[in-house]
Amino acid sequence: MPLHGQLSSYSDTINIKEVVISRKRLNSYTAGFKKVTIDSSVLLNHNHGTLADLLEDNSTIFIKSYGLGGTALPSFRGTGSNHTQIAWNDININHPMLGQSDLSLIPVGFIDDIDIYYGGASMGLNSGGIGGIINLKTKPVWKKETLISVNPGIGSYGKYSGLVKVKSGNNHFQSVTKAFLQSSENDFSYLNSDVSSEPVWEKRLNSQVRQRGFIQELYFRKTKKILSARLWYQSAYRNLPSSMLSQQINSGEKQFDESLRTMLNYNLDRGRFDYFLTGSWMLNRLNYTNQLASIDSRNLSEALVIKTGLGSRLGESITLKVILNEEVNVIKSNNYKQNETRNNASITASAERNGNNRVSAMILIREIFDNNVLLIPDFSAGFQFRLIDAKEYFLKANISRNSKIPTMNDLFWLPGGNSELLNEYAFIYELSYDMKQKISPGFDVHYNLSVFRNTIKDMIQWHPGEYSYWTSDNIQNVNSTGLESSLSVDYRLNKISSEFIAGYSYTKATTVSSYNNNDIHIGKQLMYVPENQVNASLRMNNHNLYFSWVSNLVGRRYITVDNSGYLPHYFLNNITSGFKFNLRGNSLDINFTVNNLFGVNYQTIAYYPLPGRSYSIKILYIISK
Amino acid sequence: MKKMFIMASLYIAIVSCTKVSDDPAGSFLTGSGVFIINEGNFRWGNGSLSFYSYDSSKIYNDLFLNINDRPLGDVPNSMNIIDDKAYIVVNNSGKIEVINLNTLESIKTINGLISPRNISFVNNNKAYVTSMYSDSVAIINLLDNSISDYINLRRSSEAVIISANKAFISNWIGGNEVMVVNVENNEVIDSIEVGQEPESMILDKNNKLWVLCNGGWTRDYYAELDVINTLTNSIEKTFVFPNKQTSPLCLRIDGNGETLYYLESGVRQMNIDASDLPSAPLISESEHYFYNLAINPVSSDIFITDAVDYSQQGYVLYYKKDGTLISIQEAGIIPGFMSFKLNDNFQVE
Repeated sequence: MPLHGQLSSYSDTINIKEVVISRKRLNSYTAGFKKVTIDSSVLLNHNHGTLADLLEDNSTIFIKSYGLGGTALPSFRGTGSNHTQIAWNDININHPMLGQSDLSLIPVGFIDDIDIYYGGASMGLNSGGIGGIINLKTKPVWKKETLISVNPGIGSYGKYSGLVKVKSGNNHFQSVTKAFLQSSENDFSYLNSDVSSEPVWEKRLNSQVRQRGFIQELYFRKTKKILSARLWYQSAYRNLPSSMLSQQINSGEKQFDESLRTMLNYNLDRGRFDYFLTGSWMLNRLNYTNQLASIDSRNLSEALVIKTGLGSRLGESITLKVILNEEVNVIKSNNYKQNETRNNASITASAERNGNNRVSAMILIREIFDNNVLLIPDFSAGFQFRLIDAKEYFLKANISRNSKIPTMNDLFWLPGGNSELLNEYAFIYELSYDMKQKISPGFDVHYNLSVFRNTIKDMIQWHPGEYSYWTSDNIQNVNSTGLESSLSVDYRLNKISSEFIAGYSYTKATTVSSYNNNDIHIGKQLMYVPENQVNASLRMNNHNLYFSWVSNLVGRRYITVDNSGYLPHYFLNNITSGFKFNLRGNSLDINFTVNNLFGVNYQTIAYYPLPGRSYSIKILYIISK
Repeated sequence: MKKMFIMASLYIAIVSCTKVSDDPAGSFLTGSGVFIINEGNFRWGNGSLSFYSYDSSKIYNDLFLNINDRPLGDVPNSMNIIDDKAYIVVNNSGKIEVINLNTLESIKTINGLISPRNISFVNNNKAYVTSMYSDSVAIINLLDNSISDYINLRRSSEAVIISANKAFISNWIGGNEVMVVNVENNEVIDSIEVGQEPESMILDKNNKLWVLCNGGWTRDYYAELDVINTLTNSIEKTFVFPNKQTSPLCLRIDGNGETLYYLESGVRQMNIDASDLPSAPLISESEHYFYNLAINPVSSDIFITDAVDYSQQGYVLYYKKDGTLISIQEAGIIPGFMSFKLNDNFQVE
């Protein structure tokens, strides 16, 4: 869903003019593809929330959540959570053991912009994002200024949060420091009608979360060169609640997640060509304990990623690029027989004709070396036709082949990991119409309609093996077909600005074949993939006052493979309202949010309740020097 | 206001569009048949109760949900019947559902159990409930269906068999012992070292306790079938399975206490006086995935569950005692433990 509006509640106080996005040219891979940006104004309203909350409100990516504080996983265009890649400034940060990211662990306050690459568009960034890639970006504002923002918040269910940001520098140097703390009891009440003949109110227990994080970014700019260094640390202690059906004494399930991510980046833009080199080292610790079941699972993974690319422009509109990517993973887990490593490298070459031409096109080819095994090359091709000269009316079409290598758990988990697994691969087709129209000064309309089809081959699934435990295998072929439609309207008049966004998606995701020929779920909708999703938001800003209303309708999700059982649709509404003052060059902003305004009782994972109406209040004080 | 909340709750409640019984009066429940405990998937809460009726030769599914308007729970594991009550042990919900055997209406839910697995009735007043993750066996007072006490075994427990004034309780996961408890005073009086991971046990007509030890999932040990003298608490005989990859399960016995059955690449049949383990199965597994087994104590009919792929509805395969297939019918997800309800007039065909 396009979220390109420029509505900013803070346009009076923070003048964001000179923004440089690293490697903009090398990754300006859009001819014929779908990419959507969630900008900083939308992020600001969620800066104490998680990436899961943000995407739930502002995209049609379905989030499967085990409840407040619990794991939240994305389902993108009907694919599984390990087909959605989360990237941080273009580098894949999915957990190498699980091949997925828990979106409940990513605080929105640490992110400046989010780019969502749909389907084949993800090929321009990395491989393996069959559903798509969500790229979390942090970026400098080149301005001689010091901004200190202090942002405490308090909310329902014992939630206390605080975010502090310090940005300082000039036109050549910028330092950005962010720190985040959150503590939440998550002890909301819910009506349980599944454990006795009469529904009973119960309180969610063992659901506490303590989270903290820190980011330091340093940027140096000299003429056409930018050097940056980033460090991101965060940890989360979580108690994991049991299902509504479990009446047993607290099982003592806990999880500790800790990650340290570092990144060095050099970027050179010489006009005719541009070049980048990025090195990233990441450490992830995931410890899970279940006192009752005597499980003490300790997992440590390290990833070293080196990515470099060269782009060259031929004339005004043709760009040639070559990108090399090298990733080494080292896993230490007491669930593996021994420490395991993986070396994965790829080379990508692409050519793009873009600019203001009527016809734009892009072609990309990628070769992956997975532990020295050469995979069948992937490719991507996009075509874009401007319907009317100088108008923003486009027809787009693209086709891609995208490979996803197995996760380390698929390969090495004991018992059941299968080191003989093949990579999954998918053919992705997409056709879209994109229209941007300026109706009058201050009145803009953007409409997009896309249809897509993914055919995933050799999909990995865990299934019962010979010796009473499950094992992983390439056993399924899955198709997902769908439609996405979105409309956004921006209207500005004097000091009033408003933005209305509406989106609809239809997704039909089915298994087309499996190892079991009599499989009754062939042709049935995959579990937990809603066929229909609608969301809409209205954001208004009048001088010092602002208001937003976000609605989200999610259709039926099947919870059995034969589609005989399902969770019914739900309709959520969240509102935020606030006002801001200018205090001698500084600013004070106070806002109030009501989530789940109508107190809808709902679940995204069966028997894991989600909270009813909740409230939060946040204060943002920005000192500007 | 409360009504409104209840309505709202019903509105959002998980809707399960399962087949409604074509016998709405539930008359099949008055006849003889087999209850099937469908485990469902761990943490998905889709466990259920089915019943195969000898009268109609049909399986009726989702009975607990349809009759009590709520799901059975997360991973129901076993069931046992005493008089006109059935006790369904729901493992990951930590509870026992006590239901009326003839109407299946809930009588009481016994909560607060830790990972319960199996229930065995000591007498009309008392039952023992084993536990996978705690060190204690819970004692249930059958008069008011409450937990009255615990027996500390200092290890987890699985199968439980009562013989005379003793309870024999196996220490399955990671264990290799059968604990002996005096049922009069609920005290541990002995322990018997057996093979690795004693998974299931039965008592034969001579009051010998047969213990099937499946060797553990790591396949570091050979599976064993041990025979214990229940008077002396000592092993009299041991059958060792031929290789470490063999992982037998679900030891059962016929109503005469003479013929043993278990799952191992099909259904194996063995006389209690046999000198060797059976070399070939009575019923081969072929394209099925045999998951559990039950033997009709009167007719020796063989019922086997097929878990298929552990995600879709499984099947119950019904064979005559000679291995002749009678029917294959759909049950719930991961059909497991089965328990016979046989009326006095049940006849062997």
